[in-house]
Amino acid sequence: MTQVILNGLFVGSFYALIALGYSMVYGIIKLLNFAHGDIFMFGAYIGMTCLVAIPGIGSLGIGALAVILLVSIVLTGTTGVLIEALAYRPLRTAPRLSVLITAVGMSFFLEYGVRQIWGPDPQPWPSNGRLSDFLSTTDATGAKQQLSVPIFDGALTYSQLVILAFAVVLMAALALYIGKTREGRAMRAIALDQRAASLMGVNVNATISRVFFIGSAMAGVAGVMHGAYYSSITFLMGFLLGLKAFTAAVIGGIGNLYGAMLGGLTLGLLESIGTTLLGGEWKDVFAFVFLILFLTVKPTGILGERVVERM
Amino acid sequence: MKNSWTRKALALGAAVSVALTLSACGGSGDSGETYKLGLIAPFSGSENMFGDYMKNAAVLAANEINEAGGVLGKQIEIVTEDDACDATQGAAAAQKLVSAGVVASVGGYCSGATLPTLPIFYEAKIPELISVANSDNLIKDNTGNVWLLDGTGTQQAATALKWVQQNGFTNLVVIDDKTDYSANLATKFVEAATAAGFTVTTDSLTPKESDFSAQVNKIKSANADFFYFTGYVQEAGLLVKQAVEAGYTGSILLGDGSVDSKVAEIAGLENCQNVYATYTKTPDMLDDGGAFAAAYKEVSGGTDPGPYSIHSYDTVKVWAAAAEAAGSVEMDKINEALKTLTYEGLTGTVHFEADGSRTGEGGFVIVSNKDDGVFKLFDALT
Repeated sequence: MTQVILNGLFVGSFYALIALGYSMVYGIIKLLNFAHGDIFMFGAYIGMTCLVAIPGIGSLGIGALAVILLVSIVLTGTTGVLIEALAYRPLRTAPRLSVLITAVGMSFFLEYGVRQIWGPDPQPWPSNGRLSDFLSTTDATGAKQQLSVPIFDGALTYSQLVILAFAVVLMAALALYIGKTREGRAMRAIALDQRAASLMGVNVNATISRVFFIGSAMAGVAGVMHGAYYSSITFLMGFLLGLKAFTAAVIGGIGNLYGAMLGGLTLGLLESIGTTLLGGEWKDVFAFVFLILFLTVKPTGILGERVVERM
Repeated sequence: MKNSWTRKALALGAAVSVALTLSACGGSGDSGETYKLGLIAPFSGSENMFGDYMKNAAVLAANEINEAGGVLGKQIEIVTEDDACDATQGAAAAQKLVSAGVVASVGGYCSGATLPTLPIFYEAKIPELISVANSDNLIKDNTGNVWLLDGTGTQQAATALKWVQQNGFTNLVVIDDKTDYSANLATKFVEAATAAGFTVTTDSLTPKESDFSAQVNKIKSANADFFYFTGYVQEAGLLVKQAVEAGYTGSILLGDGSVDSKVAEIAGLENCQNVYATYTKTPDMLDDGGAFAAAYKEVSGGTDPGPYSIHSYDTVKVWAAAAEAAGSVEMDKINEALKTLTYEGLTGTVHFEADGSRTGEGGFVIVSNKDDGVFKLFDALT
């Protein structure tokens, strides 16, 4: 059972990282950015391309991952900003359904754009960037042993720990940024009332761009870590994970950052326990039943507050 | 308002999610100067390479037959149609072949695209010798004119069980991905193993997901020394990697849908040291010293024969042998001839059960990718 919980927390940390971007954007401009999951996928493809294309990156060892994370952060962040500026900003005063449809269109654009460039087949992650290869030892018989830490009667491998730690640090940093900095305050102000914020001198466009940069960059990080851990990426991988992250955001209370983190971990745990009890084929059914349950019974999620609709 | 908004968004998300599915493959009819044989296979789409393997081998077989004087004094000719592994295109291709006047169908790669060709050929009174497609559903309601040259799920499962018994495995786990082919193979394996006195733990996974820790957990808590995964390449690679990295040291067997070098690329070659697969014979496993490959290259213009080309070659030869034995190319007479025919082909001895499947083990062997990631013959289990 311990192992089931550990697995759930691990998968949940991926959901949480992606759910953060969903929730930030929703909290501030009330848009469900369906292209967000595809930014995650795009981040993974950027990482893979860097591992192949940058000369000498293999000699950096695990440092190679730091390099591709940086490149991926910059490129996915920029892509997020561009998407907002080109596709969403012109529609900011349009009915919300138009923007939502644009977001779905943007999602298809990213998916099939990537397919056009890299091809439809699943791509194996290059061997010079596999987390499990760095964090393992070779035993006397030549077989590879994953380094792992026993926790009660379960265990987490070093690779999983690294990813969990990364997710926790990123989430903590984001919480600090939103809660304690000037830019964070501007974001919260826009979330409360966009027009009043702009009357008070907050640069709305710049702040929204910043939100998209940060949210997309976190999805990019998650994409690279997903590739480095699972070793296989496809152009459609962002679709299902995006929906799961959306579910996580709803469970936690969409628009609420702590809710997104809590929702991600909760969904990971629910899935893990559910599949153990019911069998693997029920995983997605189980996850989406919870989405429907929350939407019917507690639409504001665990941490969400009832918001008076202004528009 | 916010609620209904979120619900609308969800409904849209759900609608989008429906846009993700897969399908599966091909079939053929009668004429004047020559006998035309119809070959439906995927020549476009993701499985397109198999169309050429099948076509070139069928043409090679036809050329050899024609040089030896043809069938019943007439030359034979292969007519191809593309089904792109799609059910709708498969049905259209079968109609075209019937209009073109073919006397037999000798193709069929994807089971899903071959199923809709069955009633079309039966109504046109055309015998259907299916070279590659092998779902048990193709012969479930056999109208008497359908013959499978490739081994069925039942036969593949029997081969897997033989491998289990030969190695003395005791704690067995089977994992499928709930698609038609995969569930069929898994069910047949569980039936066979249960009948042989084994207790089998089963689980399923969802295709296109990445995290299979729940399945790995199940394998480990069952103390398995053997697990059989009956799905496709991508999930096979991920499952092998996650199982071995979680400390699983037992044996891993994959179904023929996972036989591809991508498994080792995804899982890492060092994690594939206990990976085997059930697979039908491929041209490089023949002991004819490359004679088939050399003859094939003359037809193909230099490309090497691929998987299933020998099945396609045998299918044409089997039809020719049946027509000679029957003294006719009419469906009923061919059917009668095929019931008793025994033919020594490249894929082994071809002889049919009453239901249209091949007798014996369907030519399945055990392959391994532990050397360089490419699956090669490991044990013919003879």
